[in-house]
Amino acid sequence: MPRWALFLLMFAVGVTAGLVYGWIIAPVEYTETAPASLRADYRTDYVLMVAETFHAEQDAELAARRLSVLGSEPPEAIALQALDFARQSGYAPEDLSLLAALSQAMRLVTQGGAP
Amino acid sequence: MRNFRQAAGPLLAFLLGLGAGLLIAWVIAPVEYVDAAPSLLRADYKDQYRLLTASAYAASGNLERARSRLSLLGDPDPVQALTAQAQRALAAGQPWESVRLLAALASALQNAPSAASLPSPTLAPVLFPQGETTAVPAAPRPASPSPAAASSQAPLAATHTPVPLIPPTPRPTRTPTATPGALFALTRQDVICSPALPDGLLQVTVLDAARKPVPGVEIVITWNGGEEHFFTGLKPDVGNGYADFIMTPDVIYTLRLAPGGTLVSDLAAPVCQTEGQETYVGGLRLEFQQP
Repeated sequence: MPRWALFLLMFAVGVTAGLVYGWIIAPVEYTETAPASLRADYRTDYVLMVAETFHAEQDAELAARRLSVLGSEPPEAIALQALDFARQSGYAPEDLSLLAALSQAMRLVTQGGAP
Repeated sequence: MRNFRQAAGPLLAFLLGLGAGLLIAWVIAPVEYVDAAPSLLRADYKDQYRLLTASAYAASGNLERARSRLSLLGDPDPVQALTAQAQRALAAGQPWESVRLLAALASALQNAPSAASLPSPTLAPVLFPQGETTAVPAAPRPASPSPAAASSQAPLAATHTPVPLIPPTPRPTRTPTATPGALFALTRQDVICSPALPDGLLQVTVLDAARKPVPGVEIVITWNGGEEHFFTGLKPDVGNGYADFIMTPDVIYTLRLAPGGTLVSDLAAPVCQTEGQETYVGGLRLEFQQP
């Protein structure tokens, strides 16, 4: 094998080993994440908390502000995603009802007519 | 020597490649986590999470659900974390309502026995049978058996789609609190002379009609040129219906329980004497109760 080919091969092996180590064995660990990075079930529960609070307070603007930490999408989209996940995951009817009411309210907020 | 040179070249190439690989993996294109657990949230977001949990608890009265949610944050002592946050909020001048909500949840958790045997209401055991791993490199995902376990195992993973297999359970009934509407009346006022206590300590205890401590009651104390608000329940280690305030000697205070409680006026730190006739500033103890 030519010397340059051996050099190239060993370089490629080194890159591969570095990637395996850096991505799989010891990946970068994040310890200070934002709510937007929450896993779908945790995210849905976060939205459910907002829905429970909204049900008592009936303050759609405040609910929209609370949902805004979950990402840059409109609050209506965030609420609808949570509602879809909750439906697929078999949440209790009472929780689905709360999430549906929040989604409806967020739709009005998005359209500029908060209840 | 020639053999060494022949071996050094490929070794150098390997080390260069290894360095390049690590540079790519850790700096240029690090693993992107999209499925974090609440325990990994930044401190200020954890505060938001606790406050939202307290608000949801106030709205729903579901204590087990609140307990389950708080466990996701991975605080060693959730009650202590709530209390500390309430005190920080008070010191930072945040709305009284936030402080009251946090104190009320802390107190409810302290009073109610843990229902560890109950299933988690919302975040019931989560398995990932339909998980689809994308090309994004991932840390190994733990099989999250419960929210608490999930929080303790730093459950980061790549873009899987989690599917809770056990549906949430119905909510329990609201935790009983003080009789709504009934005003608290001053039932006891004592001078406390104890050199062991801080000078001018004003201790307030608020009880309901059944003489159970009531947390989250706002107390307003005013004096010439000043006013301060504080709440019962922020020191659950002393008592859920307990609150205190340090009085300045020679200042006359007026205290009332908000909203619309009876005024207690002419409160002042008393002067006490030790057995050796030395004087020191004593304290007061007030007890309020619902009729």
